[in-house]
Amino acid sequence: MSELFPIILDASSYILILVLVALGLMIVFGMMGVINMAHGELFMIGAYVMVMAQGLGLPFLAGIILAPLVVGFLGLLIETALIRHIYHRPLDTILATWGLSIALKQLIVLIFGPESHSVALPIDGSVTLGAFTYPIYRLILMAVSAALIGGTFWLFVKTDFGLKARAVIARPDTAATLGIDTRRMYRWSFVIGTALAGLAGALVAPIISVDPQMGLGYLVPGFLSILVGGAGPLAGVLVGGAVVGGVSNLLAVWISPVAALITVYIIAILIIRLKPEGLLGGRRAK
Amino acid sequence: MRNSLIGIIVFGCLAVSPAFIGDYWTGQLSAYLVYGLLAISLSLVWGYGGILCFGQAMFFGIGGYIMAVFTKGMIYPDLTSSYLGLLAAMAGSAMFALALGFFLFAGRGISGAYLAIITLAIALVLERLMNNWYALGGYNGLLNVPPLKLVAFGLSYELWDKLPTFYIILGIVAAVFFAVTLLVNTSYGLLLTAIRTHPDRLSSLGYSVLNLRLSVFSLSAAIAGLAGALFVTLDGFASPTLIGFTLSTEALIWVAIGGKEMLLAAFLGAIFTRTAESWLSEIFGDYWILILGIAFMVSVVLLPKGLLATPFERLTRRKRVRPSSPAIAPSPPDPPSPPSGPD
Amino acid sequence: MLEIRNLSSGYRDALVLRDFDCRIAGGRVTALMGRNGMGKTTLLKTIMGLIAARTGTISFDGEMLQNLSTHLISRAGIGYVPQGREIFDGFTVFENLRLSLLGHEGGEPLPIAQIYDWFPILKERAEQKAGTFSGGQQQILAIARALIGRPKMLLLDEPTEGIQPSIVHEIGLQLGKIARDTGLGILIVEQNVDMVRTLADHVLFMENGSIRESCDIEALRRDDSLLHRYLSV
Repeated sequence: MSELFPIILDASSYILILVLVALGLMIVFGMMGVINMAHGELFMIGAYVMVMAQGLGLPFLAGIILAPLVVGFLGLLIETALIRHIYHRPLDTILATWGLSIALKQLIVLIFGPESHSVALPIDGSVTLGAFTYPIYRLILMAVSAALIGGTFWLFVKTDFGLKARAVIARPDTAATLGIDTRRMYRWSFVIGTALAGLAGALVAPIISVDPQMGLGYLVPGFLSILVGGAGPLAGVLVGGAVVGGVSNLLAVWISPVAALITVYIIAILIIRLKPEGLLGGRRAK
Repeated sequence: MRNSLIGIIVFGCLAVSPAFIGDYWTGQLSAYLVYGLLAISLSLVWGYGGILCFGQAMFFGIGGYIMAVFTKGMIYPDLTSSYLGLLAAMAGSAMFALALGFFLFAGRGISGAYLAIITLAIALVLERLMNNWYALGGYNGLLNVPPLKLVAFGLSYELWDKLPTFYIILGIVAAVFFAVTLLVNTSYGLLLTAIRTHPDRLSSLGYSVLNLRLSVFSLSAAIAGLAGALFVTLDGFASPTLIGFTLSTEALIWVAIGGKEMLLAAFLGAIFTRTAESWLSEIFGDYWILILGIAFMVSVVLLPKGLLATPFERLTRRKRVRPSSPAIAPSPPDPPSPPSGPD
Repeated sequence: MLEIRNLSSGYRDALVLRDFDCRIAGGRVTALMGRNGMGKTTLLKTIMGLIAARTGTISFDGEMLQNLSTHLISRAGIGYVPQGREIFDGFTVFENLRLSLLGHEGGEPLPIAQIYDWFPILKERAEQKAGTFSGGQQQILAIARALIGRPKMLLLDEPTEGIQPSIVHEIGLQLGKIARDTGLGILIVEQNVDMVRTLADHVLFMENGSIRESCDIEALRRDDSLLHRYLSV
């Protein structure tokens, strides 16, 4: 029994990070219909901001604050220079952001080199609970991720910004006739989505190896989570993230990680194919 | 047919090029021609069929592995005919595409962005699978794939030299190019245009949208499989990189930069990009990929029809009469509906 | 006053309005009548900036609207109640109203209390999901939502479509009262003759993308041959 605890905790922390990444994707996809293929790279840049912050001798918390700011600002630039010109051509956004992802990846290679970097854990200790021990940082990571997910839900469900955002998602033209500046909403949603990715990257940087290729490993599961979940912009991401993240993590205990990954992709593809509106239903299939 | 005329000029230029570019570049150009064939297959399925496939290299890779397995005699030691290998590669890829296409398109099929994500995921799955399929060489792939062997009238000739290899490949690629060009100019091409723009109306006219999609998907896969099969005979080995995600996206870049709605532009997009790559990557080093990514982005935003197709279209505009019949006449597209909402 | 000159507008391949000219006076109710497909909805959408004008000008009390984005047109004082109402059915009634309030934050939006005063049913059901409303109630909500921005001109697209006659009459009376009390100008696209007779001061008849005839409501009451010419098949 006790060896099951770390497994479940590992799976949960992976799910939470995945949901954080997928939430940013979902905000942009749900709001603007834009598939941002560079989202994984924005996540990666968040991790690199952390690498740089530690290289400069800044405290861990500074990196955590800097990452969403830097990546969010990058998101603002991307929205202004790229997305706003093509958001009415949804398929072209896939291609253009794909070009962006290639460029960003290579930019990081040019600056930091192709090799992987590591970030020191800010807290070294671990908690002992009965027969098993677990690193404190991972527990903090889970708590912070859960809080961020909760905060994002709160922003979109409880605030005026969220009311406007949900209106723009449901009926953009009607929202505009009521005086809502839809372009502005698109822009800030994009910035929030990218800042979330940057923050997620910075948070996981200490427990993974940071390299220029890391984005794809989160982008594809992130998208699969969105498509698997369905049902409105937010709740579906939780369910999808839990299915995709949970299955791949738990399977990896019994079969090889590669086989687990293949299995979870296939399961996700089957779900998306057989239930295009998502597990929770409610999404109009595209 | 001004369109074909340009095609004939292009292939004519390619045919005389070995006289000017030397042995090394002739060898390189053979490989680029094969990439061009992959680009033609992607242009057919994406630009004409309206199916944005993010994993076109999977068919390339399947063709490559089948060719390798056959000509290395891994199935039956005496059955190493190149002809048989090429045929099996095309048939194998087409059959895989048929099965996959049926899964993807039947009933409430998947299209648009969902399709892009799913084909990307499938390409990733296949790449991982090949990396771990040890009977097929795993990560290292299959080495020592023999070159093409021509057998006719009891004579047999193995293509080890660069020049004859180049001409054989050029001949195959040109044949496929003109065959596909003819095909898309028939009523089949018209149906593809209709399926791309108004699938609903087409099905109300009694056409099976599924069958059309399956046919173009499989045909494109067969061409990609042929390209993959030719590629392994040039390179001498088949590895998981052929099937994967990187080559898929490279093909997407070639076709988008060239012009997805014009076979010749897509084909030249591959050749130019590859040529530029081997040429410019020496000058720019690691900056080349950065430049390529940015060029791709810019061409998608500013020239959605493609960098090469835009001037080509100007040249051939008079000849390209828009096919239109009352039933499938163009009309405003439905406004993009948001993927989800609180209601 | 809303003044439209040489306006051309339409969808990708089809121009619906060609060199369209008309003037809609402020402070009174103008009805725009005509058969389906004559360009009435296209006109309203073009005024709102939901369809881009190809050529021509739209000026509203001296301000040029034709190149503004929709939200700025709304803030310039044009309220819009679209065909089919398009309320946010997943939101509560209050949230629907609140949304419009947020859209006009910079200006001087109408207090929701005033809306509740005019339409007490919205106060009673403030926390109810708008999607559970009947067609007539949804229409009231859509009108109330547009009024929150304190528009000087309200565009109504077929407000009676699919609504019970009793509620149609009620809405007509209430809108007329609001218009008189606040000096609101209304441009209403309508096929329902009763609604037009209840509400309008002036009627324009539209055919094939241009205004063919106009008359006072009194003239229409005396002689309905215009109705036959422009409305019946």
